[in-house]
Amino acid sequence: MNERLDCAAVDELGAAYAIGALDPTERVAVDEHLASCPQPHAELRGMLGADEALAASVEPMPPSPALRDRLMATIATTPQEGAAAAIRPAPAAPEVTASERSWSDRWLGWLSPPLARGLAAAAVVVALALGAWNVSLQGSLSSRDQQLQAVAAAVSGGQAAFRASGSIGSGYVVEDGSGHANLVVADLAPLATDRIYELWLIGADNAPIAVGTFGGSSAPVAVIPLERGLGGFTTFAVTVEPQRVSAPTSKPVMVATLGG
Amino acid sequence: MEERSPNDVLLAERIRRGDRDALGLLYDRYAALALGVAMRIVSDQPTAEDLVHDAFVTIWQKIARFDATRGSLRAWIVTIVRNRAIDRLRAGRPSVEVGEADERSLLSTGPNPTWAEAIASVSARQLRVAVESLPTEQREAIELAYFRGHTYREIAVLTGVPIGTANGRLRLAIAKLRDALGGTDAAPLRPESLAIPEVDR
Repeated sequence: MNERLDCAAVDELGAAYAIGALDPTERVAVDEHLASCPQPHAELRGMLGADEALAASVEPMPPSPALRDRLMATIATTPQEGAAAAIRPAPAAPEVTASERSWSDRWLGWLSPPLARGLAAAAVVVALALGAWNVSLQGSLSSRDQQLQAVAAAVSGGQAAFRASGSIGSGYVVEDGSGHANLVVADLAPLATDRIYELWLIGADNAPIAVGTFGGSSAPVAVIPLERGLGGFTTFAVTVEPQRVSAPTSKPVMVATLGG
Repeated sequence: MEERSPNDVLLAERIRRGDRDALGLLYDRYAALALGVAMRIVSDQPTAEDLVHDAFVTIWQKIARFDATRGSLRAWIVTIVRNRAIDRLRAGRPSVEVGEADERSLLSTGPNPTWAEAIASVSARQLRVAVESLPTEQREAIELAYFRGHTYREIAVLTGVPIGTANGRLRLAIAKLRDALGGTDAAPLRPESLAIPEVDR
């Protein structure tokens, strides 16, 4: 049975906790206290990460070349736990139909002008510099939005991030330092097993271009790569589709306005 | 477009999608650090390389559980290697079960700007100097705890001091390291608070 520790005792154990020098019983007691205690425990939290510094004080040692080959051979035959649940692959793209094209026209009507204007007003173009990321991490990343911002900032490396919102959740559309675009989303609404999310970029010509699909994510915060960069596009959208299509067939469930 | 140097969050996402090349990139980035840590603990290269191999296989297998808001890939790798190396070292001593330690390392390595910025801005040598500059008894406590896998209670027995003193040495050592590395964001450690009594059991 685990003992209960008060706040003072937990703080006193902060250094030992941070560098793995508690016995299992005490460690569990500290974990349980931190999980339920409303106090910030700033002293203890200020020590978390010290183990990384100790590790980084060690002289790096290049491994033998054979080790990399051995590792790659091992993982070639090693399945990943939960990989299928994390991101389900999307089916191949079918031919676009006339009916889809007509839906596309209606879909663009949903986007503009009233919705587009509303989104422009509500959209927050967030300059998520790494500094801001660190500030957010000073706390306990208590809200999902803070976690979302932290991941978006890590992906973007401080470049602009565009707020995306809609009925399935919220997120950011960001480009990383290499010009690859990504959708970072949190707590996506569950998706029926026979549906996928499809991602779209739309430029000044109002022609939606499919830039990827995904089948939902079990991760609290997921990073979904887009197949194109954001350059030249003004709007990002997500629809729910039965399979990958080349023109949207349903109302967007998430939208972001790209650019100021 | 050819990717130049994807950051760790993107690498994690690619690994999550089964991209073996991404794991290779991660290995290229951190294998030397991981092997250095393993060697520091087990002092035997074949054993240390086995530990590094197994750590990266674990990353591959369990990447779906990785949550970038809770910690970095780097911290996860190092923690797995360290836990497994200590487990090897502690053979015959009571030890945390390795699989459970892997899970815990994923959850508890919260990112901390104070340390992360320090690690990013100084060299391994500077970090070593900071550790070596600690008073002897504090440096010894750190060595026994982090690199030898002893709890503070075991350190008290090994060094012949009360457990409150052993724990206090760890607290002082970490606080001094933090200060030496320029960390000022965390709450200050009050000297008077270090005169700690034995933790109630």
